Amino acid sequence: MSPEPPAETVVSRRTFFQLSMGWIAGTFAAAATAMATVRFLVPNVVFEPAQQFKAGSPEDYPDGSITFLEDERVFLVRRGNSFRCLSAVCTHLGCTVSRADRGYHCPCHGSVFSPEGTVESGPAPKPLAWFLVTLSKDNRLLVDKNQFVGPDKYLIL
Amino acid sequence: MEGGSLQRFYGWFSFLCILVGVLAALGYYRDEYRPWKQYQRRFINEEMRRASGPEQRLQASRTPFEIRQILLPELNRVDRCTTCHLAVEDPSYGGYPQPLAYHPLHDEHPFDKFGCTICHRGQGRATTAEDAHGNVAHWDAPMLPLKYIEASCGQCHESADNPAAPRLSRGSELFETVGCRGCHKLGGVGGAIGPELDRVGTRRSPDWLRAHFLEPAAVTPGSGMPPQKFSEPDVEAIVLFMLSQTGTDLPGFYASMKVIPSAAQGRRLFQQKGCIGCHSLGGQGGKIGPSLDDVALRRKPEWIIQHFRDPQTVSPGTVMPRFGFTDAEARALTDFLLHQSDQKTPLSIPALMSPVDRGREVFRKYGCAGCHGPEGKGGVPNANAMTAQQVPALTYVADGYTKPEVKKLIVNGQHEIAALDPSRPLPPLYMPAWGSTIRDAEIDDLVAYLFSLKPKDEKTDF
Amino acid sequence: MKVPRNRLWTWFAATRVGKSIFRVGPPHSNLERSQVMVSSFLLHVQPAKVNRHSLRASYSFGLGLISLYLFFILCATGVLLMFYYVPSTTQAYDRMKDLQFVVSAGLVVRNMHRWAAHLMVAAVMLHMCRVFYTGAYKAPREFNWLLGVGLFLTTLGLSFTGYLLPWDQLAFWAITVGTNIAGYAPLVGSKLKFLMLGGNTVGQEALTRFYALHVIVLPAIAGLMVAVHVWRVRKDGGLSRPEESPDSVQSIALGELPTNKSYGLMELARGTTPQVGQDPDDEVFSWPHLVFRELLLFLIVVAFVLFLAVFWNAPLEELANPIHPPNPAKAPWYFLGLQELVSYSAFWGGVVVPALIVTALVVLPYMDRGRRGVGHWFARERRIANTVFSICVAIAVALTVVGTMFRGPNWGWVVPWRTPPPTLEGH
Repeated sequence: MSPEPPAETVVSRRTFFQLSMGWIAGTFAAAATAMATVRFLVPNVVFEPAQQFKAGSPEDYPDGSITFLEDERVFLVRRGNSFRCLSAVCTHLGCTVSRADRGYHCPCHGSVFSPEGTVESGPAPKPLAWFLVTLSKDNRLLVDKNQFVGPDKYLIL
Repeated sequence: MEGGSLQRFYGWFSFLCILVGVLAALGYYRDEYRPWKQYQRRFINEEMRRASGPEQRLQASRTPFEIRQILLPELNRVDRCTTCHLAVEDPSYGGYPQPLAYHPLHDEHPFDKFGCTICHRGQGRATTAEDAHGNVAHWDAPMLPLKYIEASCGQCHESADNPAAPRLSRGSELFETVGCRGCHKLGGVGGAIGPELDRVGTRRSPDWLRAHFLEPAAVTPGSGMPPQKFSEPDVEAIVLFMLSQTGTDLPGFYASMKVIPSAAQGRRLFQQKGCIGCHSLGGQGGKIGPSLDDVALRRKPEWIIQHFRDPQTVSPGTVMPRFGFTDAEARALTDFLLHQSDQKTPLSIPALMSPVDRGREVFRKYGCAGCHGPEGKGGVPNANAMTAQQVPALTYVADGYTKPEVKKLIVNGQHEIAALDPSRPLPPLYMPAWGSTIRDAEIDDLVAYLFSLKPKDEKTDF
Repeated sequence: MKVPRNRLWTWFAATRVGKSIFRVGPPHSNLERSQVMVSSFLLHVQPAKVNRHSLRASYSFGLGLISLYLFFILCATGVLLMFYYVPSTTQAYDRMKDLQFVVSAGLVVRNMHRWAAHLMVAAVMLHMCRVFYTGAYKAPREFNWLLGVGLFLTTLGLSFTGYLLPWDQLAFWAITVGTNIAGYAPLVGSKLKFLMLGGNTVGQEALTRFYALHVIVLPAIAGLMVAVHVWRVRKDGGLSRPEESPDSVQSIALGELPTNKSYGLMELARGTTPQVGQDPDDEVFSWPHLVFRELLLFLIVVAFVLFLAVFWNAPLEELANPIHPPNPAKAPWYFLGLQELVSYSAFWGGVVVPALIVTALVVLPYMDRGRRGVGHWFARERRIANTVFSICVAIAVALTVVGTMFRGPNWGWVVPWRTPPPTLEGH
């Protein structure tokens, strides 16, 4: 092994400047390339059903109905003139719950949910999510799966 | 390394690293700051300006910048037009300048089921204006000029008697009456002199089509197609009809509305399906089923529609077969039956017509007028043909031929047409062999019709 | 000025963790400079010392390295593209459009891939010419030349298989033409074409096969061959160079070398040895002379490819349409010379001539026994060989130029500066 290098070296100012420039330039090039690469890999669009979707017009849903929308995996609940939208994805491991006589039931591991989505029994850790329902500009029900609301939040027409 | 070359190395290294960094940043920047972001910024600003309160303003300002797309897997396309055209569904944006204008559309064509390019064409996957509108190299389907938009209706819907697309209907009617089928196949039926027209809407632009109709030899040198004397509205109509022939294969949902639930198309369907064989209408028809003259007084519309869907469910034990009508077809037929009094022209029902009348229909159906002129009157040029450089008229066919001779000509055709001047090219138009296309019974009727063309009061001189 | 040494680095290099990763720190003595080449994984394929002549840019133009760097760029951009591309006839073209319109920096990455591919084919050809003109295929480098021919064919294969993947008109018809040329081979032609296409037409099967070949099979083969190729460069004594004048050294011819001896820092290869008493100025340490030059060349190549990618777009024509061939349908440019020949005679142009070319390349080093003229460009002793080769290259270039510029619809003659550009049909 060579002897320990000295704690200080004598370099010319010019060399110091060049060394720093070299390191800065190199870091700049590497960083720009790395950032561009990472950004490249982040998708800008997804080829899945959109998180915000139109669930048809209010007239499509009879009073007192709970309609399962298969592609979006939600239930659309109408009572009188109020509308709500419940997620059909079990909070345990993601299976699609089915309607039971009262409330909902998950066929995978047996979680049971009340009509309000709370967990009555089974391994599910959290209640089913309620999504925000608004009326679009062309009078359609607009569900936004990115926005969670409480079970008592209705769209009232 | 000597000091000098080490310095040179560091110099070059720094310069190249900066160059690489700048180029990488430039390439990345070009993709991150696309024009659509500016349009979204404009929309958000407008939404904030119109916001009715601070909470709405905040909500609007939080709108993310993102590419918006409509996924249409059944139509095998993705439309990203709404990335810039952000207010298409908001009526309050009516009259705004593009791209923020509202798009009024028929309730039956929601955006999330139809997207944009199925009607407007263009390049749906693009996210820059020029590329999306499709007037670029290597994209075969630029946006249709708005005046031709009815052509897109014809992709899914029956063009003829289309109540929502009157110019398209006119074009479809012209196609039949002018006799284009005599030379061109459409839907597998027609002559083989000109090219098939099933996909002409994707191959040719509106301008080309229009020029072609008015002066075919100018756009297709050597073409035998006679110039068409259309009025201006008729030219647009026939161009529309041609543009609608795109040969698009439509999956289930989109094909289910081929017939528009309307009395006009219900009437067409009624004639096609042979209902008159069992039911009477207007004093004509069969006696197996009840007369349909006053069905509006006797039955509710819902009953009639259900009867079309499945006769047994409303009329147990009936012999009426289940035709397998789509919902739209059932509604169209019902609409027709309920509004018979609005009908102005009598139904044309083959079983009830005379051979001459049926022959007239055959003459129309296979486009004979395209070469032989309307009602066989002639006047269609055929360069260098011995017959006065025209396709012969058929008015006096009864004088020159026997019926079997005419039938033979129709069945076998006549490929070689005698030339007036042997040194010039052969005449472009010839008589195709129709034997494999026109049914035997139809040919007999056709011959009867042709023989009826001679003016009644003329006597044969020779 | 006095600058404190990087304490952080020095401290880290002295820790157990540091010492376990970096067996030798940045070299500061000749011993360390030699050690780092042998101790480092990334660098150990290089010799500890390299002949000064080999560093001359005007000798080799770094063409071999350029080809290698382009290969690295192609692998890197290729992997990135694999995150978005789908090899399906119904999706491939749409994915290419998405890369252009929706993926951040997608257009730049795709352009880099395309331009690097064309550049690599050109660089490999130029590298082959350089090796020929400097006689560097002669003994002991015959096998390395063979490896090079193999790499050349693999590069052409990579470019050809990649050409199909966008599934546009350009891709579809170029591959149709190319596989038809392959089909002309006697006896095996139609079977070969069937094997390539996975069927009788260019369709989904062909796309799947070409994708598999392009992303894993051919790169693996190329990678392995490159490794052996570079290893042989070293074992054959580095790059070819002129023989030293006889009076400056005493060359000690060594016979078979004992294989149970470890060579440490001595660069030994059969036929050439470090000479005792030789002028040490002829050899310099790879660190830093060779390594820093290699780094600079890498940056130059990357900068150039990036520059092309940012300002010029790779072509993408209409969706592949089997019933609508463009007229004329042209193969990729490196096959256009062949296509020109094929237009005269399918058998002679498509089968015999390529077979002769490959055979000639393969037997060349074994036919050429002369040892003179190595290490010089256009050495007088090799006049005949150089002339013959130059004529062949000129013919190939001429045929390619004819095929590119002077052939139009129906493969008829066109004069490019007099023919107006074709108007789009129907528009």
